[in-house]
Amino acid sequence: MLPLSLLKTAQGHPMLVELKNGETYNGHLVNCDTWMNIHLREVICTSKDGDRFWRMPECYIRGNTIKYLRVPDEVIDKVQEETKSRTDRKPPGVGRGRGRGRDDGPGGRAKGIGRGLEEGGPKGQGGGRGRGGPGGKPGGIRGISFFTFIIFYLSNSP
Amino acid sequence: MSAGPGLESLVDQTISVITNDGRNIVGVLKGFDQATNIILDESHERVYSTKEGVQQLVLGLYIIRGDNISVVGELDEDLDSNLDLSKLRAHPLKPVIH
Amino acid sequence: MLFFSYFKDLVGREVTVELKNDLAIRGTLHSVDQYLNIKLENTRVVDQDKYPHMLSVRNCFIRGSVVRYVQLPPEGVDIELLHDATRREARSG
Repeated sequence: MLPLSLLKTAQGHPMLVELKNGETYNGHLVNCDTWMNIHLREVICTSKDGDRFWRMPECYIRGNTIKYLRVPDEVIDKVQEETKSRTDRKPPGVGRGRGRGRDDGPGGRAKGIGRGLEEGGPKGQGGGRGRGGPGGKPGGIRGISFFTFIIFYLSNSP
Repeated sequence: MSAGPGLESLVDQTISVITNDGRNIVGVLKGFDQATNIILDESHERVYSTKEGVQQLVLGLYIIRGDNISVVGELDEDLDSNLDLSKLRAHPLKPVIH
Repeated sequence: MLFFSYFKDLVGREVTVELKNDLAIRGTLHSVDQYLNIKLENTRVVDQDKYPHMLSVRNCFIRGSVVRYVQLPPEGVDIELLHDATRREARSG
């Protein structure tokens, strides 16, 4: 299973993203691409030390700034279902080998948005893990990516 | 190009990952790609310290980006079950400095 | 390609790989790829008391990007061969 397939399947689900600079972003995945650039909605950003928080309606994170993503456990089962139904649809002997790109099936997938009230916030994904201490790069603003900087600007302006 | 040292042989096995920021994450390898991005299922972090034994934090399902990975080790279950983590004391690993 | 070929010839030998986090891992070179990612077998960390983090690991994959040094067995270094290969690579651009 490819990491990016899992990420694609996680569309509509809540997730936690930690960036290389130590900031974490909790939000629902709207979309992602093959560079791991991601688009989140209803986001809470937590500073590296876990002591400051920002809420923003949406944000866009450049893939190469990501350290890891934490996704809900059940998403991995969904990938297996999807790949299974995909191979079931294909005639035997076709689609072997590791083709690039992916087919999203006829009409694309129904997006898991608007599933009700229980999705109100980042469920049980915790905030920052508060591992401060050594290893942090000095010089606050330099460690913040250009993207994040723009987001801060937007979210702080009236 | 020859296959080289892919991670195929480790899929569905328990692995121990050392990340560039010095964390040690243990979990089941579910997938990977060319860039060494990996999917870790049922993962937990082993936190080393000199004051107390190794603490384990449950993390769950993770996608770790390849450029944040230093080492992927195959966890030998026998060796690991003989380890008494509560008695192990060590400094956390240093972060990678490129 | 020179280093890739060189490391391929070294497969089966004992090497020590020093990482950019100061961890040094010794083991038998199992394989290498074009990114100089390295797989070692029968590994042990050089200073296990200081670094007990890999005590239950015997085989590992090391990402090429975090390798600082690879310490080679003296028998694995054929200076003449390396000279020739370097000149050949320089000529072919």
